[in-house]
Amino acid sequence: MENKHPNNPSLNRRDFLTTSAMLAGGIMLGPGLAWADQKKPKEIIVRAWGGSWGDALKAGVADGFTKATGIKVRLDFTEDNEIKPKIWAAIDQGRVPPIHVNWDTTTNATISALRGVTVDLSDLSNLKGLLPLAKPVGLKGYPLVNTYAYVYVCAYRPEAFPDGPPQSWNVMLDPKFKRRVALYDDGIGFNPISVIAGGGTFKDIPDNMEPGYEFYRKLKANKPLLGEDADFTTWFQKGEIDLACTISVNARAAKQSGIDVAWTVPKEGCKVDTDGLWIPRGLPANEEYWAKEFINFALTKEAQQKWCSMLGLPPVFPGIDPPADLVGDVSYPTKPEDFEKLIRVPSKVLVENQPKWFAKFNEIFQG
Amino acid sequence: MTSVKQSSHFPIKWRLLDAAERVAALVWPRQLHSYTGYLLLVPALLLVFVLVIGLIYIGGYSLHELDLANYRLKESFSLTNYYTAVTSTTYRTVVLRSLYGSFLVTVITIFLAFPYAYLMVRAREAMTRKFLLISLFLPFFIGQIVRAYGWLIILGKEGLLNNIVTFFGFSPLELIYNYPAVILGLIQYMLPFAVLLLAPAITAINRDMELASESLGAHWIQTFIHIVLPMAKPGLIGSSVVVFTLTLTDFAMPEILGGGTTDFIANSIYDGFFQLSNSGLGAALSMILVTLGTAFVVVIFSIAGTGTLGFSRRSK
Repeated sequence: MENKHPNNPSLNRRDFLTTSAMLAGGIMLGPGLAWADQKKPKEIIVRAWGGSWGDALKAGVADGFTKATGIKVRLDFTEDNEIKPKIWAAIDQGRVPPIHVNWDTTTNATISALRGVTVDLSDLSNLKGLLPLAKPVGLKGYPLVNTYAYVYVCAYRPEAFPDGPPQSWNVMLDPKFKRRVALYDDGIGFNPISVIAGGGTFKDIPDNMEPGYEFYRKLKANKPLLGEDADFTTWFQKGEIDLACTISVNARAAKQSGIDVAWTVPKEGCKVDTDGLWIPRGLPANEEYWAKEFINFALTKEAQQKWCSMLGLPPVFPGIDPPADLVGDVSYPTKPEDFEKLIRVPSKVLVENQPKWFAKFNEIFQG
Repeated sequence: MTSVKQSSHFPIKWRLLDAAERVAALVWPRQLHSYTGYLLLVPALLLVFVLVIGLIYIGGYSLHELDLANYRLKESFSLTNYYTAVTSTTYRTVVLRSLYGSFLVTVITIFLAFPYAYLMVRAREAMTRKFLLISLFLPFFIGQIVRAYGWLIILGKEGLLNNIVTFFGFSPLELIYNYPAVILGLIQYMLPFAVLLLAPAITAINRDMELASESLGAHWIQTFIHIVLPMAKPGLIGSSVVVFTLTLTDFAMPEILGGGTTDFIANSIYDGFFQLSNSGLGAALSMILVTLGTAFVVVIFSIAGTGTLGFSRRSK
C-alpha cells in the first residue's frame, strides 16, 4: 500500500531494511555512491583469470559489490592477452568495449595506458591511504590501480627434493630434472631471475641480458615445458614436472587441492610484480561510473582482505594480516627485509623490453 | 478494364502470385534468366570478397612497424616486420617445422586414409560399411581440443600407455610435449577429412574396371597401382591439398601437445597479435602463411592440373 503520509516519522520493516542496505552500501563504497543518480546497468562485466583466481574475485569483491549495489557482476574469463586487442579495436572503431573492468597484469595494463585507452581513476575515494604499491609507476595519474603484489616462486614437488627445498635456480639445469622443469611460455616471471642465475646482477637488467640468455641456452638442454597458469597445476597434478617458476597463487591452489607442492625463494631471489584493475574508455557514462565504483569497492578494507586472503597475496590496503598458512611465508612479503629477497623491475622497463626478451626467449626455446 | 475486372475475380492466392511475379520481373528481368545459375554463386563470392577485404587489411597492417612508446603501429610504411620474420632464426625454424610437419602429416594421413576409404566403399557387408562410417564420424562430434586432451590422458606421464609400461617394470616414456606427439595428434585429426575426400573418388571408380584387370591376370597389387590409384587421383589431390593446408594452419595441436617448444606458424601469429601486442608482426606472419599455403596449392595444381578435381571442360 502506498504511503499517503510521507511526513510520518514511523518506518515500516521494508523501508527500514532498504534504508539500512543503502547506508551499508554507502559506507562500503565511499562517499557519493549511495546518493548517486547514475542509472544502474544490469551487470558489470569484469575480465578475470579462471580457477582459484576467479573464485577469489567473486567471493572477495563481486559478491559484495552486488550485495551493496544490486548490480550483477559477470566474470569474463577471456585470456588477458586476448582481451587486450579486442578492447583496443573496439575503442579505435568507436564501439563500446566488451568489458567494463579489466583485471590485468600491471605490465599489460601499462601498455594499454600508454596506448591511451584507459580511464583515469584518480577520483576514486578509496585510493587515499593505500600503500605506495597501488600507484602505477611512470604514468600520469591513475590510468590503472595496482591491487596486490605477487611473487613468481620456485614451486617444487617435495618428493623430488628429499634433502630440502632447492637452494638455487640452477637446480633447473640438473640433468636429473630433464623434461621435469616448467616456465611460463613467454619467460614472464623468470627473465630477470635468469640473468642473476646466469651469473649477472640486477644492474645488468635490461641492458645486458646475455647471462640470462646463456642460462636459457643451458636450460634448453633439459627440455623444459612451457605453459600458462592452468598448465602448471595440471602438470604438478599429473606428475609431469618436479619444479616450476610460477605465481605463488597457483602453487598454493595446487596444494590446497591436495597436490604435494611446496615453494621457496632460492638464493638468487624471485621476481615480484603487481596486478591491477583498469577501465577501458568508450563506455556509456553511467556504466563507466559503476565500473569505477566496482574498483573503488575492490579497494575497501573488507574486499581487499577477503580477495587477497583467498589469493594468498599481500594487498595494497595497509595493515591486513596474512592468511594463517602464509604467516612468515617468503611468497607473502610484508616487511622491507622480505622485499630485499625479491626483484622488482619497473613496469616501464618491462613494457619497453619484454617484446625483445620474448623474441630472444622464443629464439632459444623454439630454435 | 476488362482484364482488371476479370482478374479481380481470381482467387487471392493467384493474385498474390501474379504480384510476386511482377516484383520478381522488376528485380530480375526475364532477359537475365539464362544467368540465374550464376546468381547462386553470389553468397560464395560475397564470402570470398569479405575474406579478401580482411586480407587486404592484414596486408596493410604488415607494412607498419610497432611503436613501443604507445603500442600503436607507426604511420610510415616499412618492410621491418617482413625483415624480422625472414631473418629471425625463430620464425625460420617455426616455418620449416610447420612445412615439414604438414608434409609428414599429409603423407601418413593419405597412406592410412586410402585403405580405410577403399574398404568403406567396397565392403560387401552393410554392417562393415556402417561400422567404418560411424568410426569415422565419431571423432567429428568431439572437438579438436577435447581430442588433444584425450591424447594427454593416454600418453601422459601417468597416462594409460605409461601405466602399462611401468606395470611391466620399464621406465615411463616421454610420449607427449614433443614433435612426434603433435604429428600424431594432427594425423588423428586429419584422417576423417582425408577419408571423406577420398571416398567419392573411389566410389566413382567402376568396380568392373578392377574385375576386368584381375580377369586379365593382374595381381591385386598391379590392379591397385595401375587402375585404382590413377583413377583415384582427384581424391588424392583434393585430400592432400586439404590435409596439407589444414595442418599448416593448425594452432591447437602444437599448442596442447607441443609443450610450448614446438610451435607452428599459427602459434607464432597468435604470439605476435596477442602476447607481443604487435599486430604488424602478426600480420606479416599471417601473410607469409597465406603465401605458403597458396603456393603449395598452385604447385600441386600446376603439376597435377585442376582437371584432376573435375574442373576441366568435358569434351562431347
